[in-house]
Amino acid sequence: MSPTRLVFVFPAFASDYTDHPGNDLPGFFEQFNLFLYEAGNRVDPSLAEFDFESKNYLGDELITQYITYLYSCAASKILREKQIKPEYSAGYSMGIYAALFDAGSINLETGLRFIQYAYQSLKSEIGGTAYGMGTLIGLDKQDIEQLIRKSNFRIEITNQNASHSFVVSGLLNDVSEMLLMAREEGALHARSFTVSVPYHYSRLEKGALFFAQSIVNLEISPPSNPVISLIDQRELKSPDDLRKELTSNLYHPLNWLKTQHWLQQKGICRFIECGPSKGLAKNARFIEGDYRFITLDDVTLHN
Amino acid sequence: MAKITESTRKEVKEIVYNFFAEECEVDKSRINDNTSIIKDLDGDSLMFLELIEIFKKKYNLDIELKVIGKYAVKHPVATIGQLIDMQLLIIEHENRLLELDIKS
Repeated sequence: MSPTRLVFVFPAFASDYTDHPGNDLPGFFEQFNLFLYEAGNRVDPSLAEFDFESKNYLGDELITQYITYLYSCAASKILREKQIKPEYSAGYSMGIYAALFDAGSINLETGLRFIQYAYQSLKSEIGGTAYGMGTLIGLDKQDIEQLIRKSNFRIEITNQNASHSFVVSGLLNDVSEMLLMAREEGALHARSFTVSVPYHYSRLEKGALFFAQSIVNLEISPPSNPVISLIDQRELKSPDDLRKELTSNLYHPLNWLKTQHWLQQKGICRFIECGPSKGLAKNARFIEGDYRFITLDDVTLHN
Repeated sequence: MAKITESTRKEVKEIVYNFFAEECEVDKSRINDNTSIIKDLDGDSLMFLELIEIFKKKYNLDIELKVIGKYAVKHPVATIGQLIDMQLLIIEHENRLLELDIKS
């Protein structure tokens, strides 16, 4: 029997921890706590005090990214130790750092530094201007583009999750107004994200280039398996490719739908979402194909 | 325009009840037509979308999501019973759903 061809996918960052998948994965929480402790010593002492209920830092954009990264890294490390190994790693948005850790290209601290420097570079670039992001489901791409054009909104479509599911980034007021208008136009779901940085927005280019300079001395090794670009679905196999991708990822639009299709065409039949959310697995219900998209909870049950 | 029979109604009800029981991890016996999707089941609009996809495939429906969205803005759904009624209207009228408002 041929082995199941699989990919590990890494979510951007959690909006809540109500599910925290991986509960039953043997050794997961011990590993996660070890990583929290290590990260607490290296980047932010408050990380060592994290817990899911009282000190979950969900209101803190940067700490939430650290925690999602640590959670994802702990999960993929446990899976690999159980000999569950993917052919590809793919990081959704800021999940790219966990994908690089998973593929063995960076160590835990380097990923934390990437997150820190990216956040600081982009925050510095946007200054005091209020930006935001949002998601909307139910409209065509053309409908959204028309809404943006009609009101001259400073917004861009920055990701496509499924045929009728999109992410937008731009000025906060424009995003809020556009989401309301989208509802009137027939969007079945429209909500903003609790972020202040409009990730993947083209106007972040300067900040992204500053980020590129700040990571010049951080080591990136060749990955043990290809990491897939969400920008153009290329297989990233060299440190140079990965370094460029880390920068481009901050100010280029992504396409998750194309990425999942590309992986399906490559013969991938199992996707494992390695992270604290189940968002990508839920999104997969709107993408057709002969595959299984499972969360860490399902891994416990089926392996 | 599809004709809604008693058996369609039964089938839709069965699918909706089973769907929410599984998605929200509650016993099916705890769900009735007056159950609030958000307050009682902690449901969300993504579940509504998923159900639409299920019915689109099952009944081979020709309907755009934005048509349903526009209808839902004027006729918000709060309970399981209201959701079943809307699904039946979608099956019956497909892309002509919005014409119901013009007629009424």
